[in-house]
Order: sequence, then C-alpha cells, then structure tokens
Amino acid sequence: MNAFAKTLLTPKNARRLLITVAVGLLVLFVLYKVVYPIAFDAYVGKSNAPLTYANSQPISEAELEAMATELSLSSRRAAAEAIVGQNDGAFARRVKVEMLMNTQSFMREHEPTHIKYFRDANILQYEGPKTCLQCHATIKVRHHDGRTSEVDTLDDIVNSVHFKFQSDGGGGFSTYGYDGRQVNAEGSRPIPVGKINRACGIPGSFSWTGWAALVESRPEATHGEVELRSEGCGQCHIGGNYQPATEKMMPIGDVPDVAKEGIDCLICHSTEYDMNQRYVIRDDVGLRWNQDRTMRAALTVGRSTTKNCLNCHQHNMGGDAYLHNEAAQALGDKNQRLLHTGAKRGNPFSPQDDVHAAAGLQCTDCHVPEGHKIPRGRMGVDLVANDLPNVEVSCTTCHTAAPHNRSEHKALLNGHLDRIACETCHIRELQENNVVLRDWVHPTWDAEEGIFTPTDIYRSGEVNKGFTFLWFNGNGTFLANALGNNPNGSTEYDPLMAQLARIDDPEIVAAVREKAIELKKTYPDIDVDAYVEAATDPLSQLTPEQLDKRRRMLDENLRAHMNDGESRIYPFKLFNAMMYEDMGNQGPFGAMILPFDYATYYETGDTTASVKQAIQDPIVQRMYQEPFKLYMMDEFMAYFGVSGGWKTHYPLVDGKLENVEPKWMRQMGSLMINHGIQPVGRDCVECHSPNGILNYRALGYSPERAAELENLDIVENLRPAASFSATDGG
Amino acid sequence: MKASRSRAIQGIDQARPDDENPQRSARPASPRARLLLGVCLGLLALSATADGIEVAPPKTTDEAIDLQLAEAAADRHACLRCHAMSTLAYRNPENSDIVGLSLDREALAHSVHGELACIDCHRRSYRRYPHPDRPAPGDLDCIGCHEDEDQNLSRGWVDIDAEFKRSVHAVSDSPEAAGFSCHSCHDPHRFRPAAVGEPIAQIVRNHNEVCLSCHEKLVAPLNTSHDWLPNRDAHWASVRCVDCHTPAAVFANHDILPAEQSEKNCVSCHSSDPQLLARLYQFRSEDDIARRGLLAKAVFNEAYVVGLSKSPALDRLSLIIMGLVVLLLAAHGVGRYLARRANRRA
Repeated sequence: MNAFAKTLLTPKNARRLLITVAVGLLVLFVLYKVVYPIAFDAYVGKSNAPLTYANSQPISEAELEAMATELSLSSRRAAAEAIVGQNDGAFARRVKVEMLMNTQSFMREHEPTHIKYFRDANILQYEGPKTCLQCHATIKVRHHDGRTSEVDTLDDIVNSVHFKFQSDGGGGFSTYGYDGRQVNAEGSRPIPVGKINRACGIPGSFSWTGWAALVESRPEATHGEVELRSEGCGQCHIGGNYQPATEKMMPIGDVPDVAKEGIDCLICHSTEYDMNQRYVIRDDVGLRWNQDRTMRAALTVGRSTTKNCLNCHQHNMGGDAYLHNEAAQALGDKNQRLLHTGAKRGNPFSPQDDVHAAAGLQCTDCHVPEGHKIPRGRMGVDLVANDLPNVEVSCTTCHTAAPHNRSEHKALLNGHLDRIACETCHIRELQENNVVLRDWVHPTWDAEEGIFTPTDIYRSGEVNKGFTFLWFNGNGTFLANALGNNPNGSTEYDPLMAQLARIDDPEIVAAVREKAIELKKTYPDIDVDAYVEAATDPLSQLTPEQLDKRRRMLDENLRAHMNDGESRIYPFKLFNAMMYEDMGNQGPFGAMILPFDYATYYETGDTTASVKQAIQDPIVQRMYQEPFKLYMMDEFMAYFGVSGGWKTHYPLVDGKLENVEPKWMRQMGSLMINHGIQPVGRDCVECHSPNGILNYRALGYSPERAAELENLDIVENLRPAASFSATDGG
Repeated sequence: MKASRSRAIQGIDQARPDDENPQRSARPASPRARLLLGVCLGLLALSATADGIEVAPPKTTDEAIDLQLAEAAADRHACLRCHAMSTLAYRNPENSDIVGLSLDREALAHSVHGELACIDCHRRSYRRYPHPDRPAPGDLDCIGCHEDEDQNLSRGWVDIDAEFKRSVHAVSDSPEAAGFSCHSCHDPHRFRPAAVGEPIAQIVRNHNEVCLSCHEKLVAPLNTSHDWLPNRDAHWASVRCVDCHTPAAVFANHDILPAEQSEKNCVSCHSSDPQLLARLYQFRSEDDIARRGLLAKAVFNEAYVVGLSKSPALDRLSLIIMGLVVLLLAAHGVGRYLARRANRRA
C-alpha cells in the first residue's frame, strides 16, 4: 500500500492521475450535456429546434414613438376614467378626464413603465425571454415568512408548476394514494405527477398526446369547406415548445435552451397581450403554439394582473362558453381555438359573478406570489403539484375569524365557521353548463363547429346536482375525492361509497336516461338501462370481489386520513367521465385511462381510431416498457389503488385494441370550488329544514342530531318576521 | 329564587356518593341535603304552577332531583347548540376586537356552575333568540346569588365583596379597570375552585393564568417590573401572584394590593413560620399541613422553599459542630505551641 502510494505520488504519476480525472469529468459532462439530451429525445420521440415567431419583428424608432404615445394615452385615459366620477355631464366629464390625463404627476404614475426603459435601452424588437432577461436575469423574491432571496429568473420560472406541470417532491402535499400513502411525501420516492383526474382536454395526464393539434373542422356555415382549428393543452401552458417539458419528468436533465426561449413571458405580464395570437402553427419540426411577441405587447409589460391570469384560468373556472370570458372572445387571427362548451367548474371569477373581482381585487392579492411560484393554498383535491405547499390562501387571512359584520345575526353566522366553509353559503350555484357526466366514447356531431365533440350526459349548476357538500380537511385522494369526516368521528360518513359513487336524484337519473335514448339513435348498440346504471351507479361495474377489496381499502387506508385535522363542510363540483380504460391495469377505484388523439377524434368521431392514434405516441409506448414501469408506473399504480404493479402489456396489438373497455371511473371526482363568491350567502332555511340542501344523515350526523339540525326552533322563530337571510358580505 | 335554586342543586351535588372530592364526600351531607331537597321540591311545585305546565307530582325525592337536573340539562343543551360553536363571535364595531361568545362545553360541565340551567343566571328573555343586546343591571351579579353564608367557603361572600371593594381593581381610576367585576377574573362558565390535593404547580399555573390574561405585559421578554425578585421565573412558577399581592397579615385574597404596597419582604415566606403555608399550602390536605419536621416539610410541600423547612434541632447541631471545630483548632494550636516551646528548651 505504502509503496503504491509512493509511486502514485511521484510528480509524473500525479500529473497523469490529475489529467485522467479531468478527462473523465469532461467526458461525463459532455455525455450529460450533449449525448444525454440527444439520447433522451430519441427515446421519448420528441424533437427540439430553435423557435421563431412571425410577429417578433423589429420596428423603427418612429414606430416605437407612435406606439408609445398611443399606449400611454390609452392607459392614462383608462386610469383617469376610473377616477373621475360619473355624476358630471358627459362633456364636463370629458374635460376633467383630459385634464387629469395630462397632469404631469398623473402621467408619470400611469404611463406603462417599460416605454421609458425600452426607449432608453433602444430595444426595438421583442425576442422572448432573451429580451426580458437582459435586465431581469435575477429577481429579488420576498417569501411568506419575511425572508428575501435573489433567484435566477429563468430557473425560477422553468421550475414552477406553470412551466413544468409538477413540483419538486417533499412536504405539504395533501394527496393520498388509495394505498394510504401520501403522494410524494418526504422520504418516499417522488414520481412526476401534476394534475389529478383532469376534467378538461384529454382525459388522463397525457399532455404529450394533446399538446398542440390542428383540427380540420367542417362547420355548417362554410358548406363543407374545411376550416382549421387549434386545440391542445399548450394553449394554456406557458412553454412554446413542440411538447411539454418532458425532460423535467426525469430525475436528471434539463429542458434544452432552445425550448426555454419559447417561454411566453408576456401572456402573464403584458396588459395588451393579444389572445388572437394564440393558435397552433405548423413548421418543419411539428406543431406548436404561436404567441404574441409584438413590441406592442412588450411595451405594456408589468406585474401580472387578473386579466393576465384569466387569459387561461377563466377556461377552467367560468368556462370557455362563459359570457364574460374575455380570452374566449379572441380565438385567434387564424386556426381559431376550439371552445369547450361544457365548463370544468362553472365557477367564474369576474366582476359580474364574484364579489372580489367586482371590488377590483387582483388574483395575486390572495395568491401572493413568491417570485414565479404561486401558492394555491393548503387545501385542494385535484392537484398534487404545489409550488408553495406551506403558504396559506384562505378567506380568514383578510376576513378574520369573525367575517360577518352587518347582519343582526352576525355572531350566529360567525358561529358556523367552525363547521361550514365560507364557500358553502357564498357560492349559491355554478354556471348551468357545468359538466357532471361526460361520455368521451360516444361523441356527438356539432354541426355549428363542424366537429365531433364528447357528449355531456348531464350538466347542471344547481346545488346537489352540479355540486354537493362534503367534509373536507384539505386531504384528497389520488383521483380527486375530498377527504374529511364529521368531527363526531362518524363511521357512517362514507363519501367513496355514497355521495361520490351513486346518483340517486330521480331528476338526474331521468335526464341521463333521456340522453342515453338520444344517443341510442346514433349508437344503436347502447343498452339504455345498462348505460344509465353504469353512469349513475359506477360501482355496478365492479365485481363483488373488487367491491370487497374497495371496502377494505377504504377502511384500512383512507379512514385515518379522513379523520385527520379539522374538517369543515365544503361544496364540491362533481365530475365523472366514460373513457377507454386499459383493463389490464384495473383496481377497485378505476383503471388506467387511455388518451385520445384530438384531430382524429374531432374530425371522424371514431373514438377507437382516436385512441389507437394517441397511444402510438412514443411516450405512451415507453410508458408500457420496463424502465418507465420501474421508474414511476409501479408507484403510480400503487397510489391508484391497483396492486401488483404496472402491467406492461401494451394495449395495441396488430392494430387492434386489446383488453380495452369503455368505463366510467368508479367514483366521481370532486373539484374544489372557491370563486364566484356571492356577497349574500344562503338563507338559514336552505339548510335547516327537513328538505334542506344538506343531507345531515349522509354527512354522518346521528338521527337525533340530524333531526335537531333540520328543525331548529331558532330558525322557526325568525321565519315569520323577516327571513333570516345571511345578508352580509362582511 | 335563583339563589335558592342553585343552592339546591349544590346540595344535590354534595349528596351524590360518587363525588370525586374526598374531603367533600367525607363530610356528613345528610341533614342539610335533606333540608335542601325539601326546598327544591317546593320550588319545583311552584315553578310548575307558575309556568302553567302540568307535571305529575313526583313520588320520591330522587325523581324530583332527576327531573330538575334533566330540566337544567335541557336548558343548557338548548343554549349550547349555538354557544358551543367555537367560532361564535362578532367584531366590536368600536374597536374591531373580536368578542367571543363561545363556551367550552367540557369546561362548563366541570365548573361549579356545570349543573345549573343557563337561565338561572341569565334572564329568561335570553331563552329565545334573538337575545337582548345587554343584560339588565344586576342581572349577572354573583353576590345576588351568593349573598348568604356558604359553608363551603372559609369566609362569607359578603367578606369577599368587601375585600374586592378595597382592592386596586375596584378603586383604580385607570380606564382599563373600568367596569371591573367578578367575571373579569372568574369566568362563571369555567370557574372551579382548586381542590385540595391538586398538584401545587398546576394550581399556581391556573391562578396566574387568570391574572396574566390581563397583565400579559408582565411576562413580555423585556419587562423589568419583577427584576428585583431573585430567581424571578422560579417564583412565578411556584407562587401565585395573589400570595404577594394581597395583604400578608390577613387572609383576604380578593383585596388585590397596588404594586407599591405588595409584599416585598422575603422573610414572609422564607422562614420557619411562613405565611405561604397559610395561603398556597391550604390546598394541601390537612394531614399534609399537620406534618411536622424537616423531612415532612421538605418532601410534602412539593417544592422546597429555602427557610420554610428550617429546623431548630439542625441549627443547634450546626452550632455545636462549629463550636467543636473552633475548639479543635484552638487545642491544636496550643498543642503545637507547647510542643515547640518544649523542643526549644531541650
């Protein structure tokens, strides 16, 4: 040993050793930086290329000045009009507005700040993140606990949920697998998961197969003429690449620099962002989403406002068809985006339908960002990903623990807070196009749009139809079921066997039947009775053994997480869908769902052809191979409640789907609704009466307590006088 | 009527054999309890006729007690439907402070008033919702109920009232002391006197919590008010505020003294005849207090107090040992002196 060390340490040998180590490291570095990305792209069948945008054009200085004048005037006019009262006559008001607009201090205050910066730096072309990062390479972040730190801006955004759809594992997540384990908890092996039980776009988390699609529609109005339409997840996610951030799914590797150049800063930061620039374009490499990279948009850059957030988020809140969805009025200069007529939540945030929006509050007033990480709060069922899991977003932050101040019955109303979430009373209904049951397997021809669309079997915004009330402690299951329990520790409250697994309301059942009869005209194979049963009683699709296993898993794995913490009654939007499932990977809560190819689906309505097309995507094929099984799918299935690991039997054999069946997921998903807040809450008797909206027995109250809650003398006493309404917005 | 009815129930309480309190249950309850049951029966008949409710005449006293207890329980249940809601509160329009109206169901059940009907203290108009804005004057006055001599207490309610009226809480003209009443310290919905035998440290903590609920600034990190006190935190953990802040000579623990008149003489406690024994250690059982001697005082007090366990025998022994040491040293010195002198001569 000693002799060996001596030889090693002779100057000549030491030099050799040093060189070997250096070369070794260099080789590793080159492998990681050059070979790995190429190998990875080949493996998942994705490609990257420099992204160019037609509207990213240089302008002349004169054009900049003209644009600056126009933008400054319009922004000052809007600000002045908001200040000058409506009381004056039209002419007097105009004079006042103009005086204010041209006041020096007002001009300084209300002119878009970047006009001056761009002029001084002589920036005449907007080239995406490159332009922004010239000045904003790093940003100062103020954290919720008072700390401040300086972060690399590009890193910050690339590692946010908005870009990569997932968050780094560890702590704070509230999602539990049906096997009883917390998903991506500290100490477990984190797997890449973001959203759960997606009601929008393509079922399942297959943003790869539906990132960007051009659909040939044949609308009535054009008399058979083909009109290209845009569709896909990429319309709302900020990466401008040909696919989502696939590289971020892996434990190593990073998104290539060319892809980072596709990040759309302005959709979140520019007040003049033109949603008409948001459509699918095709280039030599493939399909991707266009974005607004004009100087006009760049000049009005600033902090994100509600308008920016709603460019995308009104889609999942109010819905595409929502009357006040501004982004849905600007569908694209060409290849217009397809609207989804059924709403995911039907729970809009707009001055017309939400008291906070009407008061001029910005999204970021409650969802206070830390750099590019935006908190969603500690409660949530349908999203595993959470950039800031420990940051609270709640009503009481502003409204205190005693929010009711005007009503004579304020104390009594405040008393309810311990058991009842604010939303329970202050969201009275959802939009009527809120989708509850959606059949992807039997599409319907939409003559106006000229495409086949999934058939919404049941839509409703009404209480106990489109949404219902569940105990919720902030925990959710892997398929978006709210967990919680009556604080009395009830063993009767059983949402996964009752509220979320069965539709008893005769009106809904009748509506579903009517729709099934209608569908039978197009699809003669449908057995109406069986169809209605599967849609309204999804557990009927399980064998008795599977039902037993489900019962056991609920008791052994989930009961404890239902009893965690403090539960309150929250409203939850209900959702279930019929999709194609890979029956080889089935458990008591459902099976692996298979994605659809948008273009095939919309154009032909041939759903099996659409599935076949989609699952030929290399990433789905990889999913059915051993490395992915070991890397994430075994873990995924365990959370999903499927024992025995992921079965890699690829369901497409010789061009035929094998062991694939159309099924309803074995329970409804429950999506939290928190917007569309009404200043006037519910009336006492809406809950405290024998036919009230709360089913106290189903919520785990004893028969005696339920009877007491249904017949409160207090409410009775008050009724003759004035109805005891919660006329209090705090 | 209110007073006698509540006393009736106290009487019933004492008559129950499964009472937890050993001292109380040891007390002969029968003659007084029987008297009270009689009163209670009479009252029951009275209230039944007054309310115009047909009640079958109860056959035995037990049934009457049960009925009355059940009535009170029903009344509490009705009120607690709202008042047990932990978030029952409103914001005071004058200062935006949140005013809590919620009661802790468990604490009420374990309090001295746990078996009363709410309307025993709160006017009958509170029986219906909505309630009046504020209670009528004198409505919630403790002395109104507790005016008579109560043998449960070492001294009468009238004495307590007199003590209170002398106390800094009553005479101070500080705006913070405005409207000071019994309820300011004793929440009637959770009040429960410390029982003999409870751990002293727990009693001290409970008592001091009452004081600190208003005087919270005293325990703020930079407060210097008690800096003169050696081992301040040890004192706070094992001595009640009132032990020093009431007159040392007389037992009057509602006569809260202003800071400048409060006890600052260490020897009041740290001596072999400590006033602490008469105050804080009243919560020790009589047996424990009666114990004499060094070991008994050191061990059974739960907390060793310097000086409290002083033993004259030990003092004498120490003196003797010290004297002997001095003598020994002197003898040694003399011995050496003599030896040296003898050597020189030789």
